Amino acid sequence: MKASGSLRSRVWLGAILWTLGLFGFAGLLVNQVMLRHPESPQAVHAIFTYVGPVATLAALLLLVGLIQVSRGMSPIAQLRHRLSSIHEGHARRVNGEFPSEVQPLVDDLNALLAERDRVIERAQAKAGDLAHGLKTPLAVLLQEAETAERSGQPQVGAAIRHQVDRMQRQMDYHLAHARAAASGAAPGTRCEVAEVAEGLARTLRRLYVDRHLTVSLSVATGHAVRVERADLEEMLGNVLDNACKWAASSVSLSTTRTDASLVMMIDDDGPGVDDALLESVLQRGVRADETAPGSGFGLAIVRDLSEVYGGTIVLSRSPLGGLRATLTLPSA
Amino acid sequence: MRVLVVEDEAALAQQLDDALTAAGYAVDRAGDGLRADFLMQTESYDALVLDLGLPKIDGLTLLSRWRQAGHTTPVLILTARGSWHEKVQGIDGGADDYMAKPFQVEEVLARIRALIRRAGGLASREIRAGAIVLDPRDARVTLGGIPVKLTSHEFKVLSYLMHQRDRVVSQMELTEHIYAQDFDRESNTVEVFVARLRRKLGASAIETVRGLGYRMGASS
Repeated sequence: MKASGSLRSRVWLGAILWTLGLFGFAGLLVNQVMLRHPESPQAVHAIFTYVGPVATLAALLLLVGLIQVSRGMSPIAQLRHRLSSIHEGHARRVNGEFPSEVQPLVDDLNALLAERDRVIERAQAKAGDLAHGLKTPLAVLLQEAETAERSGQPQVGAAIRHQVDRMQRQMDYHLAHARAAASGAAPGTRCEVAEVAEGLARTLRRLYVDRHLTVSLSVATGHAVRVERADLEEMLGNVLDNACKWAASSVSLSTTRTDASLVMMIDDDGPGVDDALLESVLQRGVRADETAPGSGFGLAIVRDLSEVYGGTIVLSRSPLGGLRATLTLPSA
Repeated sequence: MRVLVVEDEAALAQQLDDALTAAGYAVDRAGDGLRADFLMQTESYDALVLDLGLPKIDGLTLLSRWRQAGHTTPVLILTARGSWHEKVQGIDGGADDYMAKPFQVEEVLARIRALIRRAGGLASREIRAGAIVLDPRDARVTLGGIPVKLTSHEFKVLSYLMHQRDRVVSQMELTEHIYAQDFDRESNTVEVFVARLRRKLGASAIETVRGLGYRMGASS
């Protein structure tokens, strides 16, 4: 947007014009007094012979005037600072008290932010309802496909199954994406990695109970990321689930903190992924092993989610022998 | 083995019912949370298939209520909500397994078998009692390696007794676990099934504990 002149220069211009006006009236007044009382120039002269005190007083007045103008302008700078901290995700609302002229503006801004949050929430809920509403009919359709296959119409069954599978992948992918796109914009978020990782480890141990996997975590308390909790759960959940799917006996998660990022390393002792395929398994719908279960969207969702938050996921060979996924997210 | 299917979508409930019945389970159905709660309080089940988005009382509330009341019946959550956030909530709420819709019915059957097997403290897929081997995957029974033909009720009685190996099972308990709720039960029919099983598997296969019930031992 184009700025229509500087507020500060206008205030200064006003102050200078006022001063000039005051000078004019003061000159008139002094002149009249001197005309009516011929002895008065002596008195004026007597006052202004004290150069030091008068100069000091004048300098002091100028200084205090300067400070007053600057202070008068400071709420504007403060407002800018508060808004940028919202933008960077440190705060959700404009906090603090402002002068009576600025406060209504701040209140309106906060109301606007609250409205924006509500709109995002509603849109997210609608996207979720749509996707979940479709899943049960899809499940019914999938069972019908099996019935068709059993009753001697394998082509029809396979065709339905294939299309249902595609629809499901599309929904899972866009659902995760819609949620991330919405929440990535929501400011002021902070999520402890240890809490999320423990919940996921509990869940995975239960889901893979027959595999007797060791899921070990080494996450320091205070290691947190600037990511919505549900999104961190989705990212770590997908990566850890993938590790559990392939692991022979153990999966591990460890975190380290660098300047502005938190690095999470997820290792497994499975067969790993061929070096030539490392990059492509992060693509949508690509599976390293077409015979393994899963949509092939898991790691692609992780990549897209991490990008929304300004993070990355990189795959490499793990010291445990299998795959290492390195997920880097902005720390909080 | 008796399974309760809690699912409000009638078509899906019917499909699950059909598949489970075909696999040799006695199946009850509940279309809302209140009915599910009632059945859980009054009947005994070996496993539950639980949808989360239910009318009247939602699935997670039901589950935590049952777990607090001390019900240990294994529960498989089968839901449209498939995010990890929801999976963690489900497992922390007391579920034993979690599947997202849409699903393959074979997968559901495999998971139910695994839940029932684990609940009985059994490690391997096949269950053995002496020369009798029961494979829940395809509802097959062999005696000394030779397949034995059983009717669906005979299979249900044998399967329940073998899952409860070395424990005395009363006639009442056996009746509860082999019939669906709306089935017309007569307690003496259990005796008939046991008699037929003894004829097919040998008189010593099932032991009668006088006044208490029946027992199958690991080496009987």
